[in-house]
Amino acid sequence: MTPTDLLYQKLRGNGLDFFASVPCKLLDRLLKRLGDDDEILYTPVSREEDGVGVLAGAYMAGRKPALVMQNSGFGNSVNAVCSLLNYYKIPVIFVISHRGSPGEPVAAQNVMGDAVADVMAAAGVPAVSIGHPDQLDLIDAEIATAFAERRSLGLLLPFSFWEAT
Amino acid sequence: MTGLMRYQVTEKIMDQITDQLVVCTIGHPCQELFKIKDRAANFYMLGSMGMASSIGLGLAMSSAKKVVVLDGDSANVMNMGAFATMGFNAPGNLVHTIIDNEANGSTGFQPSFTARNVRLDQVALACSVPNVTLINRPEDISPAVSKALAANEMHTLVIKAEIGLMPGIDLVPLGPDEILGRFMKAATA
Repeated sequence: MTPTDLLYQKLRGNGLDFFASVPCKLLDRLLKRLGDDDEILYTPVSREEDGVGVLAGAYMAGRKPALVMQNSGFGNSVNAVCSLLNYYKIPVIFVISHRGSPGEPVAAQNVMGDAVADVMAAAGVPAVSIGHPDQLDLIDAEIATAFAERRSLGLLLPFSFWEAT
Repeated sequence: MTGLMRYQVTEKIMDQITDQLVVCTIGHPCQELFKIKDRAANFYMLGSMGMASSIGLGLAMSSAKKVVVLDGDSANVMNMGAFATMGFNAPGNLVHTIIDNEANGSTGFQPSFTARNVRLDQVALACSVPNVTLINRPEDISPAVSKALAANEMHTLVIKAEIGLMPGIDLVPLGPDEILGRFMKAATA
């Protein structure tokens, strides 16, 4: 199976059932799989902050929400993360393609790529980096804890994850 | 202009609310809603300006209940992309009300973009949001709300209002755990 297939199975296996997304080249196959899945709710969103709002609403109605996006988008959503998700203790799982990680061809991505883990930590969203699909089993406990503690969680997926064979 | 202030429009909307979920935008709108009709099924969004429309959309997509968003003009300009997401999904149980007083009311009534160059009803239409109504006459508010609440399609009401505050309002005296806890109980009941 591809890294995308393994990740998709893992996310669904952990009960995530409402996905919003902003695209990334690395996420293309994952977004197609989510779009084809009739057992979940899925919508593209205009920007990541819009997605944070949509998913907060989904959580209020009993869903387990995840936002699929590239790391640059975390910067677009910091206020909503702090004053909506953190203030009301609403958990959202951020599934993030980590642009600017080793292998990045676009130099402009490196700046936010270097900053994102610290920005997330400062915004109260711990980030776990999954460098290889072999490490995906780590996220079961992380996701369970995030929902139990009602706090958000970031899964950072660098080029090494997507390019693993 | 309807000649009404926002709280007077809110009163007319809340007069018709029974068991619907209500999501209210940040600032004075929450304070006025709390004074007009506090209830468990009100979500007072005390931060995250602009997110009420997005929250309402996620709720409506996830629930069979009717969801009513009480929104403001500047909040919608701030999160204008949400119209694209709302038009894409357009859940039939969503009613998006935008009380447009052409001002940033909670920060000192600075004129907003809708006072000069932005037509939010046209923005919604351009994003394929169905059933968009611009309301300028006070007598049109209650029939439009009634129709939207009874409908099986998404409705958006842009209601023009005057600037001004409800007398005697104060900060919403509820903490986040209480607001979310009782709201989720209502949303998932």
